[in-house]
Amino acid sequence: MSTKKVSYFYNPDVGNFHYGTGHPMKPHRLSVIHSLVLNYGLHNKMQIYRPYKASAHDMCRFHSDEYIDFLQRVTPQNIQAFTKHLSHYNVGDDCPVFYGLFDFCSMYTGASLEGAMKLNNNHCDIAINWSGGLHHAKKFEASGFCYVNDIVIGILELLKYHTRVLYIDIDVHHGDGVQEAFYLTDRVMTVSFHKYGNYFFPGTGDMYEIGAESGRYYSVNVPLKEGIDDTSYWQIFKPVISHVMEFFQPSAIVLQCGADSLANDRLGCFSLSTKGHGECVKFVRDLNVPTLVVGGGGYTLRNVARCWTYETSLLVDEEISNELPYTEYFEFFAPDFTLHPEVVTRQENANSRQYLEAITKYVYDNLKMCQHSPSVQVHDVPGDAISDSDKMKEEEDPDVRISQELDDKTVTVKNEFYDGDKDQDKEEIEV
Amino acid sequence: MADVDSVNSDGTEATSASKDKLFDPSVDMLVNDFDDERTLEEEETLAAGESEDPSAELSSLQKESNMPLEELLALYRYREMQENDSPIDEDTEEPSETMEEQESEVDAQEETSKLRALYDAIPDSDPDASRLLRFSRVSEEEDEDYDYSPDEDEWRKVNKTIMVGSDYQAVIPEGLCNYDDALPYENEDKLLWDPNPLEKHVIENFLKKAATLAKPPIPLGTQIRDDEQVLYLLQQCGHNVEEALRRIRINVIPNSDTMSLWSEEECKNFESGVRCFGKNFHLIQQNKVRTRSVGELVQFYYLWKKSERHDIFANKIRLEKKKYTLHPGLTDFMDRFLEDQDGRDRSSSPNVQYSGSDNKKPTDIVQTNQKPPPEA
Repeated sequence: MSTKKVSYFYNPDVGNFHYGTGHPMKPHRLSVIHSLVLNYGLHNKMQIYRPYKASAHDMCRFHSDEYIDFLQRVTPQNIQAFTKHLSHYNVGDDCPVFYGLFDFCSMYTGASLEGAMKLNNNHCDIAINWSGGLHHAKKFEASGFCYVNDIVIGILELLKYHTRVLYIDIDVHHGDGVQEAFYLTDRVMTVSFHKYGNYFFPGTGDMYEIGAESGRYYSVNVPLKEGIDDTSYWQIFKPVISHVMEFFQPSAIVLQCGADSLANDRLGCFSLSTKGHGECVKFVRDLNVPTLVVGGGGYTLRNVARCWTYETSLLVDEEISNELPYTEYFEFFAPDFTLHPEVVTRQENANSRQYLEAITKYVYDNLKMCQHSPSVQVHDVPGDAISDSDKMKEEEDPDVRISQELDDKTVTVKNEFYDGDKDQDKEEIEV
Repeated sequence: MADVDSVNSDGTEATSASKDKLFDPSVDMLVNDFDDERTLEEEETLAAGESEDPSAELSSLQKESNMPLEELLALYRYREMQENDSPIDEDTEEPSETMEEQESEVDAQEETSKLRALYDAIPDSDPDASRLLRFSRVSEEEDEDYDYSPDEDEWRKVNKTIMVGSDYQAVIPEGLCNYDDALPYENEDKLLWDPNPLEKHVIENFLKKAATLAKPPIPLGTQIRDDEQVLYLLQQCGHNVEEALRRIRINVIPNSDTMSLWSEEECKNFESGVRCFGKNFHLIQQNKVRTRSVGELVQFYYLWKKSERHDIFANKIRLEKKKYTLHPGLTDFMDRFLEDQDGRDRSSSPNVQYSGSDNKKPTDIVQTNQKPPPEA
């Protein structure tokens, strides 16, 4: 297997925000992860970028102008002047106005956006942005600690080059913001594994939510009950994703790695170990499709840090020791100071084998309903290195050949299958 | 449970429910046109048992509401198992089922209803328990954060449906497009490090040399540490090791983003800020530590939180609280006033250690005198 080119996006300031006293979302976890990544020497395997900061304009590719304008202007000082807006945009309790809110949003959004662009240009095979993954944010409002939906914005960027993008979400909460954004399209398939029932946030993610109009059957939900362990999770994750790959054949993947599905999370109720969680990441890595990996939930700081550090090591394909290197945050990992502490949980696994089998079958039956691999018109596909007159863009003057310079810049979409000369599928892709 | 057992124990299929998921009719059955009437009857009695009359159901609900959680859980887990088993038995005992599995459309409906049964078998135990899971489950480490619990009504208001309409969906660009000549944001990001141009051992050697040159303020051990700044410098020098080392030697390490050392005064002010404003770092910045940005305060907070200094700080606060509750209304305001005065005094005098007894104000000494019998 060829080693993959990995780019890692981290803004050194992104960890230095605080949602407020008692709030479970702690951006500083990102600094802790970065510190572990460095001290494990993982940066020797990947390119490190300090990413671009997204502008309001970038955010408006998905969000409404008014909402972004509000985010840009509101501060803890002038909050009184916005009382009406607060409830309208669902900003306040869960999504507090904290100092530097907009900066925070533009940092994590910029990183995801840039990751998507680097993938589009074949500058890397895997782009990592642990600060991203805020999957609850809606077009018009904040939700569940998320303000700007960097995933949607990243996927929109990927759609410039990719006919089909797959979104996979292993956060304990349903990826409702992303699902809603792409509910009507067949170009993005959203697959979410999450706890469902008993008013668990956000309340959506029923298995009967399958998409609508052209997007019918392109939203996949795998509702789970509390306490799911590594074995059960793997039992459902592997077949579901395999089926999805078989039927949808995406040319790019966005993987949301919410770490609140780990055991003993402050808000979650699953019982996964860091290894079990990482197994999913490894599986997606081995699909050999360009992938944008983002973070997400995760509310027990030390476990989030362990999990995403471990997953960084998996993505760059480098084994790291169970013993944590010394960092300025060493004390956070007491008493064991290991990467994979033993999982101790009192949570009973409420997912029976039959239940998981039934859900898998239900998902499979739905997937069979979607037409095989929808595509955008062929003439829009960017040309590959060997210039063919039939691959010229429609709007261009057909008498003018594509200049060599322009041609060099175009990028071929991987996983777009051709026959004959254009066949680029020489490397067999495992499904 | 007895009914279910009987289904399994008599008849031809004595295997456990979990094993016989796929029904495989035996030759005998096929030849004799096997039709199991008996199971039908059993299902009916099962169903009859389940549909109790409403008053009985109400009273049982009433009973459950007074039950301790453990009992309730036990009860429902038991029920759940039963419910999980029965539909599967039903599946496996109908030979036609295997045929129908070919026709996905028809089958999907049927499968759904069975799945529904499993789906709904969620032990609908105490809803409060799940709410606790959601928001105020407190791990020992985060005990100071336990006060986060949004009120329930907020959660009830949550949109539980996926909305459809132009206000909700993203606008998908039609077709594909190329980037223009200039890559977007080409110069707005910063490549801090690219490991590829150099061999691993070259980098390691470089780091070793750089470490000896830099003379860190704290000994960092023998292990080679990855120094982001130095690597960035190497990157800037076009991966020219000699040039990078030369620059380190003449000490033009670009302004580091890492935290500069905090002065004692800043630490003191920070602690007094935490005391006044809790974790509102913006107010602390505005009122106490103007020399640092809010971001730096947050960063410092996490490092401080696990330091010895924090333990001393927390102990002190705890003792104070205890004192106030022991002598309500007696010394509160005076103490607080003294405390504030003292805080100000301290913040203006550098190099003050908490251990230094000469800095302790009278009230502190009273405190320490009270300390030995903690229950007093």
